[in-house]
Amino acid sequence: MPIDDGGALSQGPALAAVETRGVTKRFGARAAIDGVDLHVPRGSAFGFLGPNGAGKTTMIRMLLGLTHASAGSMSVLGRPVPAQRAEALRRVGAIVEEPRFHPNLSGRENLRIVAAVRGPEAQARIAPALARVGLAERADEKVKKYSLGMRQRLGVARCLLADPLLLILDEPTNGLDPGGIQEFREMIRAMVEQENRTVFLSSHLLDEVEKICDHAAIVDRGKVIAQGPIAELARGGDGARDELIVGVDDVELALGTLEGSELVHEARRSDEGLRVVLAGDPSSAAQVNASLVRAGVGVTRLEPVRHSLEQRFLEVTSRLEGAAPERPTAAQEKVRA
Amino acid sequence: MSAISPAAPTPTPASTGRGADGSPVTLAAQMFGADFLKLRKKRGTLIWALVLALGPVLIFFVVTVIQHASNPQRYGPAGGVSNFHDGMRVIALLFGPLAALLIGVEAGTGDASAGVFRDLVVTGRSRVALFASRVPAALAMCFSIVGAAYALLLLGTFVFAGGLPTPEGSLILNGLGFMLLSTGMLCAVSVGFAALTTSKPGAIIALIAWQIVASPVLANIESLGSARKGLLSQAVSHYSPIHLPESGHNAAITMSGGLAFIVLVAWLVVFLGLGAWRTRTMDA
Repeated sequence: MPIDDGGALSQGPALAAVETRGVTKRFGARAAIDGVDLHVPRGSAFGFLGPNGAGKTTMIRMLLGLTHASAGSMSVLGRPVPAQRAEALRRVGAIVEEPRFHPNLSGRENLRIVAAVRGPEAQARIAPALARVGLAERADEKVKKYSLGMRQRLGVARCLLADPLLLILDEPTNGLDPGGIQEFREMIRAMVEQENRTVFLSSHLLDEVEKICDHAAIVDRGKVIAQGPIAELARGGDGARDELIVGVDDVELALGTLEGSELVHEARRSDEGLRVVLAGDPSSAAQVNASLVRAGVGVTRLEPVRHSLEQRFLEVTSRLEGAAPERPTAAQEKVRA
Repeated sequence: MSAISPAAPTPTPASTGRGADGSPVTLAAQMFGADFLKLRKKRGTLIWALVLALGPVLIFFVVTVIQHASNPQRYGPAGGVSNFHDGMRVIALLFGPLAALLIGVEAGTGDASAGVFRDLVVTGRSRVALFASRVPAALAMCFSIVGAAYALLLLGTFVFAGGLPTPEGSLILNGLGFMLLSTGMLCAVSVGFAALTTSKPGAIIALIAWQIVASPVLANIESLGSARKGLLSQAVSHYSPIHLPESGHNAAITMSGGLAFIVLVAWLVVFLGLGAWRTRTMDA
């Protein structure tokens, strides 16, 4: 059931859930965040992806008004932050770093405290929020008896008290077991797809972002290096070309056939046979196959290369810069083969 | 434990931002209730506050009852006006304020020490409002505990009066007012001071040291002259319905009612102001 957004969503997808322009945060001479421009589309799951220490939590803290930006402008749900912080955060739920609670109070009592601060209508959301995260049966136990995974769930329940249009979750699957991570992914996807909420999720786990998110920004050393839809990011941006793995019985003949073909941008030898970068759209793979068969090449395999966010991430972050000159990573080897 | 329900929609009642009764009064009452809940469930602090407030009164009566029973010629009955005065000093000037400062410090630092202050701030609610709601909650808890101690004092005063005169209604009411003023002031000041320091152990040590060592010592340094009238304990003592000596631990310096009132207000404004400022500006 889609949420009531007070008309905000009807203002169109162009109105971003989060928009930043040149946001910078300095600690002395060091810039933890350096001129970051973000555009988080409404109704999407957005991954804020970067290695530890890249500035993810600092960015989230600024968005939530927990610390001030040194420069730049930000808006959350269309309202400038920090100028209209209270209005901007009214329909935002957030977990910053690990979720913390009063350990001597029960899960339900902890939610009562936040609901009291949120406003009278939030009280009615306590029981459904607990049920939603699977804590209804243990809601009256003291939080100090909860596992880390249960605290994460309770943190999400606390976010739901705001009936959020936007959830900001900082490393939300930390401490969850594999089953819990899977359940968490499903819950986030349901919030986005069925309820049209926006989820802004920071993580250093590539796999997690790739599985949960539609869009992502890759951040390193305080700078956003790339952002956009996940599939586009993984391919390397708008100008990236589709690539095929082609298994053939005669590599030399195949290379000779494809050389100079207007269907092919580049063809090179690889462990699997050939790597062929298409000049046109993915449908031209069939024409490449036909031309090889006509030339008498036996085609044993024709498979589009699935670009992974991990490859892209390693290509663009500073980790790769430090590692590349000495020993290429497995991902690099795969790309270069 | 049941699993997360990915497809179960989260109910969205009153998404307009205000409920059926979303008035500021209702919101303030809810925030007060939440802060009172936090204090009520802080068992360690509550037990110590109860021990400090009720324990001395109990000991006082147990000792004086035993003394009277063992030697009635030398020791009078444990109740009556005179013993009521002694009990008032114990509650209002010695141990009641210690209980009050424990509660005030807990209220002032509870959210920060549990790490949940950040989660309250991200609701968008004003930080000053978050600070402000702690004060009435702390006072309510403080008055509940010292009120119980006062009730115990009154009970002992009448039950063990023997043939001695008992306090009149006006003295009982004035005593109650004085006790609430004495403990309430220190409780409120403690909320502000604790929010300023953000350290529970530090605030408790500093306030106890001030209350039982520094303040009495300063009050007895005659060379300080009129400057001693600026002490919180001196301004509170002005309103005491029982006689206080001009020297010693409970020394009371004579001052006008107007000046005493100004000193009390100044202490409140300074410490609650500092606490609110720190809460508003601290990095969450």
